[in-house]
Amino acid sequence: MIKTVDLKKTFVGRGQTVHAVDGVTAHVKKGEVVVIIGPSGSGKSTYLRCLNGLETLSSGHIHVDGVDLADRKTDLNKVRREVGMVFQQFNLFPHKTVLENLVLAQMVVRKRSRNEAERKGRELLKKVGIAEKEKEYPIRLSGGQQQRVAIARALAMEPKVMLFDEPTSALDPEMVGEVLEVMKQLAREGMTMVVVTHEMGFAREVADRVLFMDHGKLVEEGTPEHFFTNPQEERAQLFLKQVL
Amino acid sequence: MLSPLFFDVWNGIVNKDLKNWSWTLLTLLILFAMGAGLWVATKKIDYNWRWNRVPQYFLYHNENVKTVPFDGRVTKIDQAGDTATISVLSEDDDVQTFVVDAETVRVEVNEDLFEGDSLGSTFTWRIGPLLHGLWVTLWLSAAASLFGLIIGLITGLCRISSNITLRQLSIFYIEIIRGTPLLVQIFIFYFFLGTVLDISRIVAGISALAIFAGAYVAEIIRAGIQSIPKGQMEAARSLGMNVPQAMIYIILPQAFKRILPPLAGQFISLIKDSSLVSVIAITDLTKSGREVITSTFATFEIWFIVALLYLLLTSVLSQVIAWVERRLAVSD
Repeated sequence: MIKTVDLKKTFVGRGQTVHAVDGVTAHVKKGEVVVIIGPSGSGKSTYLRCLNGLETLSSGHIHVDGVDLADRKTDLNKVRREVGMVFQQFNLFPHKTVLENLVLAQMVVRKRSRNEAERKGRELLKKVGIAEKEKEYPIRLSGGQQQRVAIARALAMEPKVMLFDEPTSALDPEMVGEVLEVMKQLAREGMTMVVVTHEMGFAREVADRVLFMDHGKLVEEGTPEHFFTNPQEERAQLFLKQVL
Repeated sequence: MLSPLFFDVWNGIVNKDLKNWSWTLLTLLILFAMGAGLWVATKKIDYNWRWNRVPQYFLYHNENVKTVPFDGRVTKIDQAGDTATISVLSEDDDVQTFVVDAETVRVEVNEDLFEGDSLGSTFTWRIGPLLHGLWVTLWLSAAASLFGLIIGLITGLCRISSNITLRQLSIFYIEIIRGTPLLVQIFIFYFFLGTVLDISRIVAGISALAIFAGAYVAEIIRAGIQSIPKGQMEAARSLGMNVPQAMIYIILPQAFKRILPPLAGQFISLIKDSSLVSVIAITDLTKSGREVITSTFATFEIWFIVALLYLLLTSVLSQVIAWVERRLAVSD
């Protein structure tokens, strides 16, 4: 589903060159749940943002469902509608009601009728468990509810892949569970997911594969059992000692 | 202006909120003292206040004198309420009737009339120069605001565009307009562009105002767009929207809400700045005021009235904007 080959992303600013992602080669198969973990500044978020073209890559290749993002002729907007993204800060549209948040892109991008879009929107709100809030504005919702709306909003586009960029990091602890529950449900339904998270429990329980990144490099890769019980690399061992 | 103050005092009395209303009373007292000072000052220079001459420059009763177009004789006068119908028989035995106001009838039955004699008058209300000037200022500012908003929106978007030429051109425009006086710009528009492009003074005036306002609006819009968190654009793009769609549906509606107060300030400034177009002989409120003064010599009164009329326009605008702001606040 997603293939990245020797992906590099460098930021240049104030005379400094930062290699945020430094030659990552990794693949995600259809229906697979891949969790990316690593210390802050390891480039995992940047890597994720490259996958739907929010960051332009410096070199290397990304193929999403066979389409090369590095190719200048690729219409990124077409790629993005197949790749849903959930952000750390939710990024709901504050001037729209919850239902409108779900309906807007369906109408604008997918050219669905309002009726069809609203039906789909309500169905998804029900699925993430906040059907009764459809007329509220995002600001009146708790963090957990907002993040669930954000997941529903991404799902409304019927993406083939879902990317999660630290979806629970901005939440109060008691709200983390409800968001993870929705994500687990998605995983059970066979959605292809790439998740950047610090939730080791989630990684252990749901992930098919764990990628460990540090300093922009893919350091270790494997099944959760392998990664959490028997990591090979020293940096991974160190990291796990600190977080577990 | 003063009504909120009186309202405060009244509230204070009703609610027995002694502390607040006594302060408001002090404010009123100071304002009153300043007014009294002005009055004394004008007394000293022997200025004759003639406020009674002002109203006729808003609205006046225009007298139309009806005259006979031929020699003839009045056959009858029918009075019906306030109007009178005068029938005149001409030398060719034609009967013609004239309708005038009953009080103004100047002829009697059987009176012989010569061509050009007056029979009486009718009155109609006409708009005076001050009201006409107010209207010109109003629509001139409205047109300039509309075009200024469009120019500002386009320039503001160019200013943050990734295209270097668009960005440089918009900066060039903004710097030139903000760095030169409006009065000079109006002269250039009228004397240079007006001559070269053969445009009328009204078009020159509106363009100068619109292009002047556009430069400021552009900076306001740029700041508004840049104040929207980056995540909003990223969220919109990640849903597959292209940049124009994200701008139209996501960024601009949110930015508009934030820039409404500075935008209102800009348009209020524009109304006031529109007084400068009087220098290219557009009969706006200011020029009307000057014209009325030349025929009345009521200099003080007219300028005070003109100031009051501008104040009326600007305060109505700020009320309207405040109302829009409250309407947009539902999602906060």
